[in-house]
Amino acid sequence: MIHLAQKTICAAALYAALFAMNAPVCAADDVPSQGSPDLATVEQHRALQGTIENCANCHGANGRSVSPTFPNLAAQTAPYIEAQLHAFKDQTRADPDAQAYMWGMASQLDDASISGLANYFSKQAAAPGKSGNAKLIAQGKQIFTGGILERGIPACASCHGALAQGNGPFPRLAGQHAPYLRKQLLVIQSVLRTAPVMHGVIKDLNRDQMQAVVAYLESI
Amino acid sequence: MGSRSRIFEHGLSKLLFLNTFWLAAVPSWAVPSFARQTGMACAACHTIFPELTPFGREFKLNGYVLDNIKQITDIDVENKQTLALNSIPPISAMLEVSYTHTGSALPDSALPGALAKDGEVLFPDQVSLFYAGKIAQELGAFMQLTYDGAADHFALDNTDIRYAHHLAFGGIDGSDHHLILGVTLNNNPTVQDVWNTTPAWGFPYSGSSVAPTPIATSQVDGRLGQSVAGVGLYTWLDDHFYAEVTAYTAAIAGGAHPLDSTQSNVAHGLSPYWRLAYEQRWARNSMSIGAYGLDTKVHPGNGTPLQGATDRYKDTAVDFQYQFIGENHLATALATYIHESQALDASVIDQFSANASNNLKTLKLTGEYSFHRKIGGSLGYFSTTGSSDMILYAAAPVVGSANNSPNSNGYIAEVNYLPWLNVRLQLQYVAYEKFDGLKLNYDGAGRNASDNNTLYGLVWLAY
Repeated sequence: MIHLAQKTICAAALYAALFAMNAPVCAADDVPSQGSPDLATVEQHRALQGTIENCANCHGANGRSVSPTFPNLAAQTAPYIEAQLHAFKDQTRADPDAQAYMWGMASQLDDASISGLANYFSKQAAAPGKSGNAKLIAQGKQIFTGGILERGIPACASCHGALAQGNGPFPRLAGQHAPYLRKQLLVIQSVLRTAPVMHGVIKDLNRDQMQAVVAYLESI
Repeated sequence: MGSRSRIFEHGLSKLLFLNTFWLAAVPSWAVPSFARQTGMACAACHTIFPELTPFGREFKLNGYVLDNIKQITDIDVENKQTLALNSIPPISAMLEVSYTHTGSALPDSALPGALAKDGEVLFPDQVSLFYAGKIAQELGAFMQLTYDGAADHFALDNTDIRYAHHLAFGGIDGSDHHLILGVTLNNNPTVQDVWNTTPAWGFPYSGSSVAPTPIATSQVDGRLGQSVAGVGLYTWLDDHFYAEVTAYTAAIAGGAHPLDSTQSNVAHGLSPYWRLAYEQRWARNSMSIGAYGLDTKVHPGNGTPLQGATDRYKDTAVDFQYQFIGENHLATALATYIHESQALDASVIDQFSANASNNLKTLKLTGEYSFHRKIGGSLGYFSTTGSSDMILYAAAPVVGSANNSPNSNGYIAEVNYLPWLNVRLQLQYVAYEKFDGLKLNYDGAGRNASDNNTLYGLVWLAY
């Protein structure tokens, strides 16, 4: 009886969770409003829920991860998540962690699942910023909002948004784990991860500047 | 034949039995089967083999079923899935080749006064085949079939088959809490555990099968491995709380069947095993504290009937684990303390022990470090202390105790090099401060504890 009762609660909760995906009114204030096409049927939603649980093993419940090895997905822009999942599946994003973790995880995802996952995580409440070294954060903010003129590095905010909230294919960076962001800058710089726009933008960004900008982004 | 020599014979056979079991309790390894099934590299689930990462623990607790390969499926008329089979079976192989050198040579087994060869290569030390992965939608298995080079036999090794069902509940969207309800069917108490503090997957992860090892070990510490079958229920709540109860019963492969007096250490009735643990994760760290226990009644067997009085072993243990998993550096601290109360009603009657009650206390402390999962080292301390018993721990060359004591302690130092993630070259040194009760002439036949110090080189390939 207890088991049945639990199953009933679970099923009800699951449906509530699934339908909430289509209800921006339930989302937190800082959740971006854009989204991918929603899945058509409850059955598809059900199938997606199992996949979300798999994602949650590393990326955390509701897309807010504990370990900085794994990026927060909550409130990430849907087009960016979608593009990355396709890149993992096609093995065109080939940095070490992509190969170790995501090539396998994305290999069996179909287009509908990819859209559904992108939609789901984009609508989760963002991870809050973490406090850090104030001086470093201030230096990072300067780079993010103003760029580094003498090195020809444009302001990150021009693509990623004034609040680093992301913009379509340009990912949300606000509240992201600093070690994760730093690693992405390094693998993009070394071309282990292909990102055509970013290769040019950050080619002259040095390690100290990276450290500053990711400290700022983690803090907001 | 006088009673003293009968006691000695009984005691010696018990000693040899205990020792053989200890040797057989060396844990095995993780397998590429899971990588084949999930498409994920070893690092997803392991720090250094076979130690599990937080994700590895989730994978195991979820029943080994996470798959990322094409499935062969079927459904019934109500659209419920009746088959979900990996299109490629998650099979893998492991080969271990080893070299063992002890502080001084062991006595020849047949010629009195002669010495056996010192410095032994085992090719193979062990060869294993695995099926490790999904069986059905929420059902998975870790199964290991092992050929032991020293013993020259095939046997079913560590096996854990589990069903896991995931529930979410609470909060507005019904996802505030996550619960796994699982069932495990396994053949070794603690093989189902997900922390590397408990015996089946505890440090050292490999060791020589031909070097002497101390006389005494508790039941939960490997003495029942592959000689019992257990069914258990477990829960894992919100990635924090773990609770499990499993009942074991005798299930011994080989020898006389139905089980009879020619078998040894035969579990009587049901032996309950319990486990509680709490885990906390933050940033790149995870920490767990826990407790576990096993209450076993056994017939000593070994020439005595499997009827009447039994020996009762009550094992209670606490454990602690800390992990740091960085980009470059990985570090782990492991600790466990096991207390065993022994009520030896049957052994006293059968003259396997002098005391009606004994105790045994085991402490294991381990620190591990790895750089980029490529080069690493471990340092472990181990200690066993307990009641003296003139029959159970009788004097005997190499495997006995001159002062009838099980007290042993020492250190294990290990260095590892992994040129590839599935190839490991290992050098291990075990140094005994005290062996079976004494530092010098511990066996009454002139052998010192340091004579059993063991250098163990291992080539490990998993593919």
